[in-house]
Amino acid sequence: MAYALPTLAFPALALSKRAFTQLGLATGAAALLPNAHALPERSLVFPRDHGAHPDFRTEWWYITGHATTTAGRELGFQVTFFRSRVEATQSMQSQFAAKQLIFAHCAVTDVQGKKLLHDQRIAREGFGIAQASPLDTDIKLRNWTLKRTAQPVPGSAQASATPALGYQARVAAQDFTLDLSFTETQPLLLQGKQGLSRKGPDEKQASYYYSKPQLQAGGHITLGGQRLAVKGSAWLDHEWSQELLHPEAVGWDWVGMNLFDGSALTAFQLRRKDGSALWTGGSFRATSSSGLQTFIAQPKEVAFQALKGWTSPTTGAKYPTEWLVRTPADYYTVKAVISAQELDSRNSTGTVYWEGLSDLFDSNSKHVGRGYLEMTGYAGALRI
Amino acid sequence: MLTLLRTFSWQEVLHHPWRSGAAVVAIMLGVALAFAVHLINASALAEFSSAVRAVNGQPDLELRAVSGNLDETLYGRTAEHPSVAVASPVLEVSTYALDAAGSKQAVKVFGLDALVAARVSPALLPVPDHNQRDGGKESSSETNKENNARFTLFSASAAYLNAAASKLKNVALQDPAKPSTVIVMTGLRTAQLSVAGTVAAGGGALAVMDIGAVQDLFGLQGQITRIDLRLAPGADKAALLRDLALPANVQAQAAGDAEQRIGNLSRAYRVNMTVLALVALFTGAFLVFSVLSLSVAKRAQQMALLGVLGLTAQQRLKLVLMEAAVLGLVGSALGIALGTALAALAMNLLGGDLGGGYFAGEAPSLQWGPLAALVYGALGVAAALVGAWWPARAAQALPLAQTLKGLGTAAQRSKGVMIASFLVAIGAVFTWAPPVFGIALGAYMAIGLLLVGGIGLLPPLVALAYDRIAPLVAARPLPMLAIERARRVRETAAVAVSGVVAALSLAVALTVMVASFRTSVMQWLDVVLPAPLYVRTASSSAAAQVLNFSLAQVQAISALPGVARVNGLRTLPLQLDPAQPSVMLVARLLDNPAQDLPLVGDLAAPASDVPADAIPLYVSEAMVDLYSAQKGHIFKQYMPLAQGNAAQAATKLIVAPSYYVAGVWRDYARQFGAIAIDQRDYVRITGDAQVNDLAVWPQDGADAGALQSSIRSYISSQFAAPANGVAVDASKLVEFASADEIRTLSLQIFDRSFAVTYWLQAVAIAIGLFGVAASFSAQVLARRKEFGLLAHLGLTRRQILQVVAFEGAAWTAIGSVAGCALGLVVSAILVHVVNPQSFHWTMDLTVPWLRLVLLCLAVVAAGTVTAWLAGRAAAGQDAVLAVKEDW
Repeated sequence: MAYALPTLAFPALALSKRAFTQLGLATGAAALLPNAHALPERSLVFPRDHGAHPDFRTEWWYITGHATTTAGRELGFQVTFFRSRVEATQSMQSQFAAKQLIFAHCAVTDVQGKKLLHDQRIAREGFGIAQASPLDTDIKLRNWTLKRTAQPVPGSAQASATPALGYQARVAAQDFTLDLSFTETQPLLLQGKQGLSRKGPDEKQASYYYSKPQLQAGGHITLGGQRLAVKGSAWLDHEWSQELLHPEAVGWDWVGMNLFDGSALTAFQLRRKDGSALWTGGSFRATSSSGLQTFIAQPKEVAFQALKGWTSPTTGAKYPTEWLVRTPADYYTVKAVISAQELDSRNSTGTVYWEGLSDLFDSNSKHVGRGYLEMTGYAGALRI
Repeated sequence: MLTLLRTFSWQEVLHHPWRSGAAVVAIMLGVALAFAVHLINASALAEFSSAVRAVNGQPDLELRAVSGNLDETLYGRTAEHPSVAVASPVLEVSTYALDAAGSKQAVKVFGLDALVAARVSPALLPVPDHNQRDGGKESSSETNKENNARFTLFSASAAYLNAAASKLKNVALQDPAKPSTVIVMTGLRTAQLSVAGTVAAGGGALAVMDIGAVQDLFGLQGQITRIDLRLAPGADKAALLRDLALPANVQAQAAGDAEQRIGNLSRAYRVNMTVLALVALFTGAFLVFSVLSLSVAKRAQQMALLGVLGLTAQQRLKLVLMEAAVLGLVGSALGIALGTALAALAMNLLGGDLGGGYFAGEAPSLQWGPLAALVYGALGVAAALVGAWWPARAAQALPLAQTLKGLGTAAQRSKGVMIASFLVAIGAVFTWAPPVFGIALGAYMAIGLLLVGGIGLLPPLVALAYDRIAPLVAARPLPMLAIERARRVRETAAVAVSGVVAALSLAVALTVMVASFRTSVMQWLDVVLPAPLYVRTASSSAAAQVLNFSLAQVQAISALPGVARVNGLRTLPLQLDPAQPSVMLVARLLDNPAQDLPLVGDLAAPASDVPADAIPLYVSEAMVDLYSAQKGHIFKQYMPLAQGNAAQAATKLIVAPSYYVAGVWRDYARQFGAIAIDQRDYVRITGDAQVNDLAVWPQDGADAGALQSSIRSYISSQFAAPANGVAVDASKLVEFASADEIRTLSLQIFDRSFAVTYWLQAVAIAIGLFGVAASFSAQVLARRKEFGLLAHLGLTRRQILQVVAFEGAAWTAIGSVAGCALGLVVSAILVHVVNPQSFHWTMDLTVPWLRLVLLCLAVVAAGTVTAWLAGRAAAGQDAVLAVKEDW
């Protein structure tokens, strides 16, 4: 799951955090859709379902990962493109009509420097300035792009080896540039029931959701004017929905972890205001001698328990930066690599959430993987 | 020196407070007026500029069409250019909103993309209403409400209003929870928009909507007005423009062009106002001159005594200058205070442009700056010092022994006449100077020199006149005494009336100029308003672009009973030069241009280099000055007229027809240029058969009221009710005006814009009369011995006062004649040099003799009464005693 919240690019529109969390997820004005139906189970068809689904309210493509420079510097990165359908403008004639909004967040975690750099953009679809192809993953927001392409296999001895499938992301942010390619090393992972992932007690709170764990990442990250060659591993989520958040939900916690042995762990919970879990879910895909084996968590099989907290000095929000996550596979501990990974863009988009590079430890406290932890709905009500 | 100032000079002030007071008041009024005008101008311009800045934002570069709108596809390719950091498309439409009373109010509708506009025009960003975005409750319907409010920004019917526009909204009284609405005209229809929030931009009424919504609302799909660009750091503007390869009809304007346009719009008016205000200060300087001259003359003996006691000539000069500086300082300080108050008052009463009509819809706040206050204060002190220079020189050159003996100072002004003649000659030369940055500086210099020189020539003039009059009154003792005195002490007489001459000449000049202007405007109105009745959709030319009559509607109206003939008029603003305000294109039927237009000179046959198929244009005088349009020659400026939609024309290359200037006409309505074109030519070139105004000729004997109501009901029938069923009085959407009403209204506006000049005249004359009063009071006191002698010779006090009054009459009479003559010369400069150079229009000189004579008589009468009153006040004590004192 990704943080999918379109906050329009001006402070005047800053909403309360709670309203904000629901935006785009719960844009489903029931009045506008004849009964917000439960999403039907269906088999996802590729590459069509890699592309955008403009009839759905909310959609995102979300790549997180970590990378190491040739000099051994450790970096985390996050590139997310969102699409939001605006119901009210669908019947307008003008080419300018904001029928779809495309927006993007990106961030780099500098582990040694203990800081997070981030940037965001938003535009209405049209005029070639912003678009999300419905045919395959091919998204553009001015010169920020994410495209599914054939990738030369990194490290392959023969240049003529059949290129593997993967992604190309180019993002020139204010303080950094990401120019990364991602190569698939495993088949995609359908979350939930063959790609239909429940997100709440009601059936209609659901999304179509697949992940691509264990992507091999390579390319360049420009940071502080230095163009650094990097290598690492990454995770892609693609999720689209009509209505996701139950009215009682105020936020969620999510982890997507690449295990060093090739396994992949997904776990999420949707929280009530009092912090209790409204809904949980996740999956574990294990590598074994017989190949990949996927376990989808049943309701209540996953549980999150906060262990340690960190209070953001800028927003005052208190985030658990260490979690005990119970899954059918194991009891895992998730620890933020650095605490200061809050995205505070109250001055521009008004969004505040925590999204950061984290380590995974198994029940024997063994460091078994690395990935991203996302926490939303912790910052107090915003008024800018 | 300071000690002397405290004792010697202060005693003088104490003894004659009203005299020093007059000088202080004169400086105060001059400074007050000049500073008030400055404050009003600065405030209005600042307010207007900030409104323009708010609306235009702060782009590095702005792409606009020369005329009409841009093709929106230009936006995509511009925004994608790597040198462009932000490209913000804006669609701007001038239209009307219907207020709660159902009457039309001008409003500008801005369509923009709020997602990109933030960095370019933050003042136009929509701010959602608090109650609409704040859900509060946890229920999902509340959530939906919030989210809907969120996306309301993009909706087809949401509008965000600035403070001025929010007065136009209709509040749903029965259900306060319902959003208020605003009804805007789209063509001859209306649309109801819901008010979703506010925008910060000040200035006139404006509404911001999503750009897509504005396109849909006004049927302008595919069109945008401008693209505001923020360039990427280090981007090369020239290279970007080369890459974009903009079509001929698209202008790239740098930031500041718009502000410069605003500045240009009213600069001539502002400069002229400032000059008029400085005139008051100029008159003040004359008054200081006369007050100090007389005071020095009166204190000559004391000064001589001081001289004998060791005060050097240089120190006497300094002392008088210091006295003047003190008077100037006090006057300036009071003037700055009074000016601030005047400005505040005038802005409340007349608006920021003093009724000039340049800054409609602005309610400026006072822009008071210490620097400006210091500058105008310094001007006041400088005026006082200039006025004091000659008296100070007189004090310096005092022959001590002679003065102490009471033999007085012999007049020795032969050089003065030479200098004065020289100044007049230089002034005459300056009238030929070309304008400097569109300001008639040379002409103003000429006026100043002529006034100073003319007043310098007063003494020989007095001699000339009274040498001839003296024999005529030789038999009548009282007038004889007055005339003889005026003749013999003509230097003093000239000094005493110099203020009156200055003030009167300026009053006469303004009177003549305004009268000439008004007469020319009336003649012009007769030609430009041939039809008895006019129907229009929009009273502003910008709004006229969306509110039109179609060809079919025009034909239907001309077929209505009682209508003999209907002519349509199409107006269209053309931005020929980014730094200049738009030029107005007027397409109307020109069967006989010589009659239909107020031509200056004759029509010109096309010159040999003009192609045979060139289309005749008739340009206003401003076009000749601003765009070098030459009669009979090809019009070289690019004319953005093309077949079909203006937006397409902006991006497609078309074979433009050539145009030539067939005639030049006088236009007082559009200072920045207008081009008239025959409507048939216009329709042939553009295919645009819509019109904004209708000129209607009723049939003979047709009832005007019935005719109006039949046109009204036709328009109502054309008017589609809004979907939501809001009842709108359709007849209020168009305006009717008879030619007489327009004429009256135009002249009212004219009079209103010149109202302030009458006020300035009155103040200038009042200051001049102060001068006369001060002089005579001083004279009467100084001449107590003389009056005592006259009393001993048998004249009664009454008769002595009569002599004083006669003197007043004699002096002000010569002052009036001189002032009137100078004023006529100055008015000729104003009419023939200042107006064409500042406003690019000419007028015929009309002299309202009766008013001038009355004005002069009034001044003579006022001068006489003033002299008499001053004499009575000063000679209150027993004059006989005064003689005894000395004997």
